[in-house]
Amino acid sequence: MKFVLDQHAHLNSPIHRWDPRFKLIGFILLIFAFSFVSHLYLLPAMAAVTITIFAISRIPISFILARLRYPSFFLFIVVIMLPFISGSDVLFNIGILDVNKEGCEAALLISVRFFCILTLGLILFSTAPLIISIKAMRSLGLPSILADMTLLTFRYLFEIGNYLHQMETALRLRGFKARRFSRRGFNTLAWLGGSILVRTYERSEWIYKAMIIRGYGRDTKMAQVGFQAATRDILALGLLVLLATGFVVVQVLT
Amino acid sequence: MHIPDGYLPTAVCAAGYAIAVPVTAFALYKIRKEGDPREKIPKASLLTAAFFVASWIHIPVPPTSVHLILSGLMGSILGYFAFPAILIGLFLQAVMFGHGGLSTLGVNAIVIGLPALVAYHIFRLRTLFGEANRTGTGIFGFLASLCAIGISTGLFVVLLINFIPADMDADDERNAILALALGHVPLMFIEGAFTAFVTMFLLRVRPQMLIGI
Repeated sequence: MKFVLDQHAHLNSPIHRWDPRFKLIGFILLIFAFSFVSHLYLLPAMAAVTITIFAISRIPISFILARLRYPSFFLFIVVIMLPFISGSDVLFNIGILDVNKEGCEAALLISVRFFCILTLGLILFSTAPLIISIKAMRSLGLPSILADMTLLTFRYLFEIGNYLHQMETALRLRGFKARRFSRRGFNTLAWLGGSILVRTYERSEWIYKAMIIRGYGRDTKMAQVGFQAATRDILALGLLVLLATGFVVVQVLT
Repeated sequence: MHIPDGYLPTAVCAAGYAIAVPVTAFALYKIRKEGDPREKIPKASLLTAAFFVASWIHIPVPPTSVHLILSGLMGSILGYFAFPAILIGLFLQAVMFGHGGLSTLGVNAIVIGLPALVAYHIFRLRTLFGEANRTGTGIFGFLASLCAIGISTGLFVVLLINFIPADMDADDERNAILALALGHVPLMFIEGAFTAFVTMFLLRVRPQMLIGI
């Protein structure tokens, strides 16, 4: 089964070939270094690094843009509001509203940081199948309960999503309209949620039995094997550590 | 109620992880203490996916509609599994939909996950009325979610207003806090009522789901 997140995991790029453990460490360090930046003059450098990594990854831009659409809505609200409500140094007026310099700067900082970090996160988890990324996290110390739960949740998410879709279709075919708020309609939606939980619970009992038959829990060391780092993996990590350190040092010293 | 990447300074993001790690460790310790967790993992994982999906149900609140967080319901049903479940849900939302963020994962897990554990303890009080009591289940289901969303709203608003990188006037800041908090009050009651209805439904259909997975 192929998932949305894994659709570009098969591409061949240096980032796809990078050992997932080193990639994880490098990207997380860079993400935290980016969130540390608050000087505006560092923003072009942040954007340049992000665009370069994105170009190397060979992921289609449409994939990234499609995932930026929904979170951009929240960003839009903040960016629209900040220039008016933050700061005291007036740049210009729109009618009775003052547009403040500090608010514009804050909006710019938040926007660039947001897009850079989000893009890095998407590149990190779409350049390897999620199961590999989770195994890499497991080998770096993620508890086995969290690793197993993440993989199982991800595996069944869309199947359970189909339950909801089928049940909503059945409700509509029986004349249910969720456009107005009513106690009866609300009750129906709560029962819909409850039914999904019951169906899932019953399904999980069968899945556990199937997992036991297939040897679940017998070989806990399995997740820790399979990775072998080459010199280029270590060099790539060194490069990202250097970049992350550079951003932090420039931010602190200037 | 997810804080996206880029909004909070690194120190706050790091503090979020610094708190989320021991809370996760504590939740996992409690899970392991109750016996071999292997049997419960598939149930907890699939229910995590089910809660994720159930949060896509839109409740009509004219002129718009809201989708629910369900942290109170998760705490009520999953117990200590609720915290890792929320952590995983937030992680998947961040990497699949860009909703929330990786740098703010720890902070978001605290904002939504800690109140879920509070909800679990509130919901357990229903046994004072007897485990099969419908009214007690409904009332404590309602209170569990109401408190969970109330605490989450408080944490969310304080974080957003205090740590967003912008200089705000004290009056504007106070008004923004008030507006954001008031905006979430209807959601608290809707979530509370939804949890009450769902828990009463489960009590009738699958009562064993309410006594722990």
